[in-house]
Amino acid sequence: MNIVVCIKQVPDVTDIKWTKENNLDRSNMLSKLNTLDECALDYAVDIMQRYKNVTITAYSMGPSQASEALEYAVAKGASRAILLSDKLFSGSDTYITAKILAIAIRKYTPDFDLILTGQAAADGDTEQTHISIAQTLDVIDATSVTDIPNADKHRVIAVQNIGGEVNTYELKTPCLIAVKKQCKTKYTPNIEDYIRAQNIKIETYNAEDLGFDKKEVGIQGSPTMVAKAFRPVTEKNTVEITENKTEKILEFLLEG
Amino acid sequence: MRKIAVYCEKENNVLSETSYELISKALELKKSAKELTTENNDFLIEAIVLSNSIDANDVQKAYQAGCDRFVLVKDNNLDIFIQTVFLEAFMDYFYQNPSEIIIFPATPKGRILAPRITTKLHTGLVADCTNLEFILKDNELKLAPTRPTFGAELMATILSKSFPQCATIRPKVFKAKFDNQTKGDFIEHILKYSYDEARLKILSSINEKTGISDYSDAKIILSAGYGLASDKSSYDKLKKISEITGAKFGATRKVVDLGYVGKEYQIGQTGAYTEADVYIAFGISGAIQHIAGMKNCKKIISINSDTDAEIFKYSDYKIVADANEIINQIYSKLTS
Repeated sequence: MNIVVCIKQVPDVTDIKWTKENNLDRSNMLSKLNTLDECALDYAVDIMQRYKNVTITAYSMGPSQASEALEYAVAKGASRAILLSDKLFSGSDTYITAKILAIAIRKYTPDFDLILTGQAAADGDTEQTHISIAQTLDVIDATSVTDIPNADKHRVIAVQNIGGEVNTYELKTPCLIAVKKQCKTKYTPNIEDYIRAQNIKIETYNAEDLGFDKKEVGIQGSPTMVAKAFRPVTEKNTVEITENKTEKILEFLLEG
Repeated sequence: MRKIAVYCEKENNVLSETSYELISKALELKKSAKELTTENNDFLIEAIVLSNSIDANDVQKAYQAGCDRFVLVKDNNLDIFIQTVFLEAFMDYFYQNPSEIIIFPATPKGRILAPRITTKLHTGLVADCTNLEFILKDNELKLAPTRPTFGAELMATILSKSFPQCATIRPKVFKAKFDNQTKGDFIEHILKYSYDEARLKILSSINEKTGISDYSDAKIILSAGYGLASDKSSYDKLKKISEITGAKFGATRKVVDLGYVGKEYQIGQTGAYTEADVYIAFGISGAIQHIAGMKNCKKIISINSDTDAEIFKYSDYKIVADANEIINQIYSKLTS
């Protein structure tokens, strides 16, 4: 069974710095592997440990630093790692990002059975890219998955939980699954894993390798464009109460 | 005539509340088009439902919310949601009856179906929007959806270069408004193709949703956050204070998830929504999901020991204090 895992590095959104002009200060942002993408890796490794003849290929699209995430994926158990990197890719929206990934998956891992992704990325949080990958590759998907009790070359069983509505699906392979919960098992690579990982070279491909014209990807190729980005401000004129706090609250409570 | 399509969902056999919210919002867009430009500014609002049936009352209500044409894409296979089946059914209608704008509800199923449709149409999709308006760009009306991103630290207005222009809209952000318009077109689009063998089989489906308290009539709500966790007796005390004063007790998702209070008290995006007259937040930091459920309350009073807590931005009154201490004092006064 051939598993593809798509992972992404994201800025740490809990530690956002702003420039004087109220723009995101990207230069001072720390990047880390998106938490739910790490979960997707864990599910892949879990399947590999439970069944025979499972291979894992990790994909990431991003700048050259994204190779860090791929090295980690290899240490965890991936036997191949593919970095899709090109200046032309920058600014791609969800539709184009999905198209780049889908075309790469079809080209470099045509015999994939299962694609695993995280349900959402902490930065954009659109929950769209994985669905768009599934549609571009014309495969069925299950999203918001919290358990994969069974997987083989022909079918995958996935449990989806959407706000308490729990559906168990049987998906025909090839298929895509987006996970939104930590896997029950989590493999932490040891020193030997990292040594083994050093012997696996990360394959890097660019727009030309994938047959894209520069007009088809990045900001130019994306069907959407950010017209304006701003820091949310509320219109509230907040009044601070500094004295007789308890009495004031009681007043609101009893008199509205 | 130009057209705005609104994808509507059924929930428990009736048209979902979000459907009416989106139709009313489309009506606002339609009106604003007339203010922004004088030429070619007339829009038809089309509600599209994929189902095996629709109740006449729901259709009536959709007209009252602002829809001009109600489309039922009808097939027996549409009583269970399978994304690829819904995709084909939607496309069967849409290819013959395209529109320049499609708005979808950002519900779990809406967010699964919408990217399928827009990818198939090779167009863009703006996810989980909290604002929607028309702007004039190069003398053309453009749909301008705005969405929170980077953990809601940043808002982005995103335009579409391709057609149709599409967005998913977060539920409970816009208000459904009903007028006396009771007439519109009704189209029944019956599918004429047979389905391929499903690539997805549903083995079981269980609803573990617990009941959520109804906060729609609440006047005063006392709501508990994780900031009270250093003294867990505060949760019971605040509940008791609510009982004594006739207020309603509420809580954030975090304290519900941690088991400090029951799921039925959860207020926020995945819990209840409220527009109460008075909302007093005790030790609530102000996660965007919680804000979504209470920001429209008329008077918001927040108590938090962190003077920079997010919740203060949405509050009319800010009190920097230990919320546990305040609860203790109120509790003593009311029970002595």
